[in-house]
Amino acid sequence: MNSSLQVVLKSVTKYYDARTRALNDVSLCISEGEWLSIIGPSGSGKTTLLNLICGLDNPTSGSIRICGTDLTSLDQKLLTKFRRENIGLIFQQYHLVPYLSALENVMIAQYFNKAVDEGTATKALEHVGLEHRLEHRPSQLSGGEQQRVCIARALINEPKMIVADEPTGNLDAANGAIVMNILGKLHSEGRTLILVTHNMAIANQGERIVKVVDGRIVADSHTEPEGRNLLEMKIPVVTQQDGQ
Amino acid sequence: MFLRILTKSFSNRKSRVAIAVIAVLMGASIAGGLLTVTHGIEEKLGAEFRRFGSNIVVTPRSDTIEVGLPGISFGSVAEQRYISENDLSKIKMINNWNANVLGYAPFLYQVVEAKHVDNYQRVVLAGTYFDREIPEVPWGDRVWSTGIRRTAPYWQIDGEWIEDGDSEGTIAGVSVAEKLDLKPGDYIEVTYQNPVSGATATAHLRVVGIVTTGGLEDSQLFVSLPVAQKISDRPNKVHSVQVSGLCISCPAELIAQEIELKLPYVQAKSVKQLVTAEAQIMGQLGQLMVLIAIAVLGASGLCVMMTTTTTVVERRKEIGLMKSIGADNRKIASIFVVESIIVGIIGGVLGYLLGNLIARYIGVSVFGTSLSPVVSVLPVTLGVSLFVTILASVLPVRNATRIEPAVVLRGE
Repeated sequence: MNSSLQVVLKSVTKYYDARTRALNDVSLCISEGEWLSIIGPSGSGKTTLLNLICGLDNPTSGSIRICGTDLTSLDQKLLTKFRRENIGLIFQQYHLVPYLSALENVMIAQYFNKAVDEGTATKALEHVGLEHRLEHRPSQLSGGEQQRVCIARALINEPKMIVADEPTGNLDAANGAIVMNILGKLHSEGRTLILVTHNMAIANQGERIVKVVDGRIVADSHTEPEGRNLLEMKIPVVTQQDGQ
Repeated sequence: MFLRILTKSFSNRKSRVAIAVIAVLMGASIAGGLLTVTHGIEEKLGAEFRRFGSNIVVTPRSDTIEVGLPGISFGSVAEQRYISENDLSKIKMINNWNANVLGYAPFLYQVVEAKHVDNYQRVVLAGTYFDREIPEVPWGDRVWSTGIRRTAPYWQIDGEWIEDGDSEGTIAGVSVAEKLDLKPGDYIEVTYQNPVSGATATAHLRVVGIVTTGGLEDSQLFVSLPVAQKISDRPNKVHSVQVSGLCISCPAELIAQEIELKLPYVQAKSVKQLVTAEAQIMGQLGQLMVLIAIAVLGASGLCVMMTTTTTVVERRKEIGLMKSIGADNRKIASIFVVESIIVGIIGGVLGYLLGNLIARYIGVSVFGTSLSPVVSVLPVTLGVSLFVTILASVLPVRNATRIEPAVVLRGE
């Protein structure tokens, strides 16, 4: 694991409105090439934390520095640019454009970033085992295949960091295993991987686990004396998408 | 990739696109149709106005002489001058607006004594052209003709018109016919006495028709110009010329000015009242058409805006996704704006075609005339359609660019 810090959150607080505090004074550092699993019950603030890390949302207070860039100093236009150049996003609901083919769903991320290259997009889909599904629309693909398209799209711009929100949340065990296998390979290639999950077995595939409860990080395997004792944390088993 | 997104997005939302295209088509067809009607009717109306008479009067310039006693003016007298008949064809051959000169009719007047059986009446005898061929005027492979049948088609004739070569035919005004008890086929004797020399000339004329105009013509006799010139021994001379100018794209004053340039010894005056009324009616017609078109286009614009807004709402997740993976506002906006432009172009072209059918129907059913498609209306219809669709998409596009990806992706 590379020890240089890639993500630095300092005293980050997020309010959605005056009465809804999603995150409360969260500080977190993630090193380059690290695989961090974020666990916690529904509504604990996991997805909010993820959205702040990838620049989809702004904190109410505190600072967020990713790859040396202070995200809180960027306007929406620069945040969008930062996101497309540095972060690959994987969603629990896949979020594919329904009228585009698998190949076009990957190419669209290229189009928003730089020149479109159909050959590279095809290779990205081959990389996730979908070379036979290039022209299929999302409605013609299984959940696992859609998630793999989503992964290929996240990889196409060669981001420094992959951020995945419950990537296996909607998949059966077999497809979940395939997806996790691909994510494991990506991590082994040196990419930083931040993954939100309810599933402790999946969380344990990472190098580090943090637990979020009520908007706070209550445990971090990196700093806990018991190290991997986080395995024993009581995490409610929720199969639906995190309420955040 | 942009084209792929557009085409697939369109084919995925055929019904929405169809609604937007129909909305634009309706507005564009009404606007285009009314524009075609306005254009066509202005021309037809202009020609119809011409049916009510000429709108330019040409007379010779004459010097006026003040008369009276020292310190007391009794008015003025003018020396009688004439226009040479040989110069008349130049009226049709003015430099710029010659195509707008629909016709002219010269007049030579004299007071004669008319006799029919035992009835006598002093009347004005007017010599004119009825439908005279003018070979001097270049008119393709045909011969241009002019005369009172062109400049005053509103004349109601009981009987027949006079042929220009007819040396004994006359048309009597309805008042003259009543006083002399005339009917078509009767013969009358007219006698002219030269006021200077006292010499008299007599001609026997056959009444071919009785004219009713409601004007001065009802008290006059009309003959071919050569007949009048012969009776009064004034060959090649006319007193005045009435010119009928088509004044849609030019004021009658410009035609009058050109005639004066061509014939420096005459003065040409437009009949202001007629021209002003004509312009006023056409202006009001145009305003009415514009108001209707604006109202219909406004409704179309609202429909397009509602459709686009619904589309943006339906595609919130897609927009949120695109923004989350790096699409900036410019690219999001370009998708919707270009979609609107395509809708505007399709709706505009179809609207132009439908507008032609509407114009044809209105022309036949309301104005009793068939209106041809006007090609110059197409770019106007297209431009208006594009303006309306782009304007209607401004608000929805602004809403699209304001979508927060984090909010829509978490399902709120």
